[in-house]
Amino acid sequence: MTAETIIQSLASGLLMGLLYGLIAVGLALIFGLMDVVNFAHGEFLMIAMYATFFLFAFLAVDPLLAAPLVAAALFVFGAAVYLLIVRFAVRAKANAGMVQIFSTFGLAIVMRGLAQYFFTPDYRSVTHSYLGGKTVSVAGIFLPVPQLAGAAVSVAAFVGLYFFINRTDFGRALEATREDAGAVALVGIDKNRVFALGWGLGAALVGLAGAIMAIFFYIYPDVGASFALIAYVTVALGGFGSVFGAFAGGIVVGLVEASTALILPPSLKSVGIYAVYLLVVFIRPRGLFGSI
Amino acid sequence: MTITRRNVLLGATATAALLPVAGRAQTTEVVIGVTYPFSGASAQQGVDAQKAYETALEVINNKYDFDLPLANDEGLAGLGGAKIRLVYADHQGDPQKGRAEAERLITQEKVSAIVGTYQSAVAVTVSQTCERYQIPFVSADNSSPSLHTRGLKFFFRAAPHDEMFSKAMFDFYDAMKKKGTKIETLALFHEDTIFGTDSANAQTKLANALGYKIVADIKYRANSPSLSAEVQQLKVANADVLMPSSYTTDGILLVKTMAELGYKPNAIVAQAAGFSEKALYDAVGDKLEGVITRGSFSLDLAAKRPMVGKINAMFKEKSGKDLNDNTSREFMALIVLADAINRAKSTEGEKIRAALAATEIPGEQTIMPWKRVKFDEMGQNNDADPVLLQYIGGKFVTISPPQAAVAEAVWPMK
Repeated sequence: MTAETIIQSLASGLLMGLLYGLIAVGLALIFGLMDVVNFAHGEFLMIAMYATFFLFAFLAVDPLLAAPLVAAALFVFGAAVYLLIVRFAVRAKANAGMVQIFSTFGLAIVMRGLAQYFFTPDYRSVTHSYLGGKTVSVAGIFLPVPQLAGAAVSVAAFVGLYFFINRTDFGRALEATREDAGAVALVGIDKNRVFALGWGLGAALVGLAGAIMAIFFYIYPDVGASFALIAYVTVALGGFGSVFGAFAGGIVVGLVEASTALILPPSLKSVGIYAVYLLVVFIRPRGLFGSI
Repeated sequence: MTITRRNVLLGATATAALLPVAGRAQTTEVVIGVTYPFSGASAQQGVDAQKAYETALEVINNKYDFDLPLANDEGLAGLGGAKIRLVYADHQGDPQKGRAEAERLITQEKVSAIVGTYQSAVAVTVSQTCERYQIPFVSADNSSPSLHTRGLKFFFRAAPHDEMFSKAMFDFYDAMKKKGTKIETLALFHEDTIFGTDSANAQTKLANALGYKIVADIKYRANSPSLSAEVQQLKVANADVLMPSSYTTDGILLVKTMAELGYKPNAIVAQAAGFSEKALYDAVGDKLEGVITRGSFSLDLAAKRPMVGKINAMFKEKSGKDLNDNTSREFMALIVLADAINRAKSTEGEKIRAALAATEIPGEQTIMPWKRVKFDEMGQNNDADPVLLQYIGGKFVTISPPQAAVAEAVWPMK
């Protein structure tokens, strides 16, 4: 094993990890806000990828330009999912936890089924784009441009999110609602509005990730499943509810996955992720940055 | 849907009680179960397979001027012109769902035989279930060599398995070496279910026996979000030939990642699966000029055997695609099974099994480049000669074996 191999693997792992973080942050945001795990998170990613694909296929919009549009569309979609489904699910008098799980889980199955019905199960790809297939090579280390762009978007999104949560009124309202959803009503904050915007924001972030991923990944109705699983681990590793934990968790997952594949057969590379996760659960059950 | 033990028992008893009556009565239709992934990661394969079976059904149930068994009259003459009806069941690529669906087809839909299943891992459970109920299972497009060596009496496969396919690849390497091409090292890249594992085992065995060196043997997890670490290892190994055994999703990601990491092998010789699929070439065909894949089918055959072109046209009208490695095998599986039922003059499992075992269809009466269809005592057809196809200028050209080849191989690939 040469130094070049190790650096290449870690570089690929870091780029992928930043993207995992961007995929997971919406999940962490929504969970942190209202303690609901969105089991349709992978399907949010899937429709974002399809939206990007269709913008490309019918209107020849490059995925890079489509990204803001897709994020905006997903924002509306996420808010609508809260207002039409989750809002009612959290009101359940009995077994509220189960009702929440099944409502988003059911949504995931419906979305997958509809995607298969309307888009067919065929595998789609964005065949040409500004960034697709381009690669920069530094001293024998290859860095694919789409993943570099994904990493840049991810870092930018997290910086933006940091300022948004800490410096704006809405960010403070978000934090306050998270602290005590009952008390904020007393100071005139509409809980439903904050929750809907939180869902919108979470969905918009995964929309951003989906648009970038459409450049280099194949698209089909079940594409969300494997990424959703990683997103759940990322969130649990980084700390439930911690937005920046998702960022750190993503990087850890990406790096651990890449370095496991250096040591063990690649088919076992996810073993490394889960081993690290178990270790974290053992030593620090609330996750690396968890505050709960 | 859940199937309780009692339902199964009831179903089995009912089937057993009804069978002799059904056998004696005038049969007007024969029901055959077809199980494929119609949802999940490989749903497109199921959708395409359905079109292939519909094409075969049309040929069997109607009158056509093809030199194929059962094409020349309507329905099955041996059963008084009975028509075949297909019942589709979705196994989602999951072996346990495959088992449950096979039970349902047998006990509730009362099928006389089952064909399937695309994934070899599902064929394992479906064929075991069929064996238990003494119903023939015809494996259309599963290629794992271990499937027919499990001592099952009701298992039949007309198409080649991956040892035969891999043998064809190594015969081709030997021939290329004689012409002065340097082929010494191989890199195996295979997914982690029975298909990839069996394929890699067969290839390892052949490589060792024939003196080729395997410099990388990479087993990866199917539907991985990323293959960069895997491709990095392939790149370091830099073998003369890369030999992937991958389904469509991983195939697309493999080719994209190879381009991203600047890895360009001299040659790729693929164990079909994803590398036979239009979706893969739509996505990354521009990076695959000169890729070689094994196949059981070649459209080049249409020049010699016009019905191949006509049947391809019938299929294309339904699916919008040309027949490929998978859909051609699916088409033939139903023809072979229907031919046996016709000769059995019965819908009883044991009689169909006996007729299948006595099958002898000459190669000219198939749409395949095979010598003939004749099953050995394990239910495998050893006279199904595979071909190697090379992707040149947007279509597949047969390059091996010599008797089927229409062009010389381009080596190295572009």
